[in-house]
Amino acid sequence: MTAIRKILEYQFPACAEQMGGVRQKLREALGQCDQPEAVVNNVVLAVGEACMNIIQHAYGQSDKGDILLEVEWRTSDKGAENGSKEPRNLIFRLTDFAKHKTCAEQMRSRPLDEIRPGGLGCHIINQVMDEVALLDRQGGHGNVLELRKHL
Amino acid sequence: MECNVKSEFGYDLLELGGEVDLQYSPQLREKILNSLKTGNPLLIDMAKVSYIDSSGIASLVEGFQTAKTSKLQYGLLNISNTAMQVLTLTRLDKIFNLYTSTAEFRQKLQ
Repeated sequence: MTAIRKILEYQFPACAEQMGGVRQKLREALGQCDQPEAVVNNVVLAVGEACMNIIQHAYGQSDKGDILLEVEWRTSDKGAENGSKEPRNLIFRLTDFAKHKTCAEQMRSRPLDEIRPGGLGCHIINQVMDEVALLDRQGGHGNVLELRKHL
Repeated sequence: MECNVKSEFGYDLLELGGEVDLQYSPQLREKILNSLKTGNPLLIDMAKVSYIDSSGIASLVEGFQTAKTSKLQYGLLNISNTAMQVLTLTRLDKIFNLYTSTAEFRQKLQ
């Protein structure tokens, strides 16, 4: 059986000034999942990078709007029945309402042997998270990015 | 974010602290580039950095490149655990010159 618990639902204006508060809310929510500090630091960083991409690229200079951040904590006893470790997942869903359509190409990491500023956000997201998916947003424009961390 | 530049003997020391994110990284970039414009080597103390994201890292990389072009010594000092996690994730821990004491950096200047 899989138990799904929504541990955070928070909508905020997509701007850099909001990010300190968003990280604080996220840390508080993740406190319910009893994870090591290094794991919490990494997922907070990756979600922050995803928000930054939305602010800079989805909304950009010419558009304004909100980001909806939803976090689910899923635990399943299926693995435990087989004698293996109980599978647990943190799922982060980021919805924006921007006119710009984000494509999968924009979520790719750049080669790290190019030492230059910028373009590291997607690499961080892909390194920290186990699954990264752009989903269709039903009804109206915008994008949905789903990040999964297996624990 | 706290970001103060102090002139030491023969180099500048930038003391960086708090959360370095998209809101503050332009200020960090400006401080780094302004310091390097004086022609002094630059050491950035990161002991009190509690959070740094890719925009903050981008400012550090731009400083690294500017220093390299200007043939100036540039290094990071006492990197906090959280900042080191980000440098490791981006494999920049192998690129930057990392120091654990100002004496070590001063030795490099001789």
